[in-house]
Amino acid sequence: MKKVLSALLILCLVFTLAACSSSTGSKDTATTDGSLDSVIKAGVLRVGVKEDVPNFGLRNTATGEIEGFEIDIVKLLAKEILGDENAYELTPVTAKTRGPLLDNGEVDLIIATFTITDERKLTYNFSTPYYEDAVGLLVKKDAGFKGLADMNGKVIGVAQSATSKEAVNKVATEKGITVSFSEYATYPEIKAALDSGRVDAFCVDGSILGGYVDDSTMILPDRFSPQQYGVTSKLDSLALTEAVDGYINEWLKDGTIEGLITKWGLNY
Amino acid sequence: MKSSNPFALWRWEKMFGEWQMFGEGFLRTIEVAALALILALVLGIIFGVISTSNNKVMRGIARVYVEFFQNTPLVIQVFFMYNGLAIAGLRLSVFMIGVLGVGIYHGAYVSEVVKTGITSISVGQVEAAKSQGFTYIQYMRYIILPQTIKIILPPLTNQAVNLIKNTSVLAMISGFDLMYMADSWASSSLDYGPSYVFAGFLYFMLCFPLATWARKYEERLKRQDTARIPFEPSEEAVTC
Repeated sequence: MKKVLSALLILCLVFTLAACSSSTGSKDTATTDGSLDSVIKAGVLRVGVKEDVPNFGLRNTATGEIEGFEIDIVKLLAKEILGDENAYELTPVTAKTRGPLLDNGEVDLIIATFTITDERKLTYNFSTPYYEDAVGLLVKKDAGFKGLADMNGKVIGVAQSATSKEAVNKVATEKGITVSFSEYATYPEIKAALDSGRVDAFCVDGSILGGYVDDSTMILPDRFSPQQYGVTSKLDSLALTEAVDGYINEWLKDGTIEGLITKWGLNY
Repeated sequence: MKSSNPFALWRWEKMFGEWQMFGEGFLRTIEVAALALILALVLGIIFGVISTSNNKVMRGIARVYVEFFQNTPLVIQVFFMYNGLAIAGLRLSVFMIGVLGVGIYHGAYVSEVVKTGITSISVGQVEAAKSQGFTYIQYMRYIILPQTIKIILPPLTNQAVNLIKNTSVLAMISGFDLMYMADSWASSSLDYGPSYVFAGFLYFMLCFPLATWARKYEERLKRQDTARIPFEPSEEAVTC
């Protein structure tokens, strides 16, 4: 028993040390807040993007490049900050990996359909939203659903880290029905689960859903709680955050972002 | 409250405020692991015994089972059971997939362990049993298998520990196990630091006592042996 206890103590100690070292690490960067300078010095803007979301960030299998609305924003930012629209480095992220990648400094920014919430603002900085979208439901045509109201007791597939779960839950409660949720790490996995009948609906932000419609599926007219996407940065990278926010606001005013949204067919 | 440190104290507090979530997942993991372990042991003993039999067809069947499940990833097997079988019309619950998928997968490994255990017992024992009129089932049951237990217990414990950890594959198919809950909490609250550390700690709490118990049990069996046998066998010879 003594041995077990001492092993546990050692374990606790290791975790505490890990916690301490990471906290001192973040303090160091905070005092020097050279977030913008370090990007300029490195000569490359490292951004985490989605590679499985059609029109936002999708890997083109023919060229091997990731393309989409969010990649165009990366290019614009690289041009403004570094004077070269190709001075960027993309890292594919999922809802699960984007937080850690930002924290450990692998990427400077995350532009990956990251929804802004008050809770999340405690952990990261978000820019002014560059896109607003509502949650939608993709269902099989032959299932005969006309809206969320028909889905009492059904299973809805959502992405981990997505806010769609709470959004649907809220509306479901208002309508007096109950639905259960299954979470998956990536969108293709949810689509596979919908195809195999594991879930009755694929629920995610409408614009993302658009890329997954095929002959046997359709998007229900129901739309819930608009989600706002922001460019995400580390809480202590203030200089970088301010610079990015400035550009986003500028592009929102002069119609640059509007133009990109039209270019990628994202204005519903 | 505002902090970029993934291990900040308030994140821990927030997580322990939602401990029920982890409790649920932990319970699910234990249930799946326990049933899968029983299945793996049953399958392992059956196929392990079969693979030492003289019947070529039986040996062939055991070989195919072991090679198939040992040489394909568990992730693919489980994903196939989840989506593939569902498309084909067989919809198993995720709980069943956990028990069957992990149980069958580890059954293949247990079978190999049992087989090596049986073959390590000298042929003389079988001959002696046969000369006393024991049938195949009887000498396996009363003579061979009891002796193999001591030999196979350490590798078997490894399998049990691996099995528990492998139930985390359920996270991929929305299995509501501990790993799924940790993933879910980590990604929705962004408190991935405490979430994964705590989940890791719970897995440790499951596996460590098991490994310790098996080690103690093995040592006790060894002591009993040395008490009966006048010649002191060296410690190393018995430890695998």
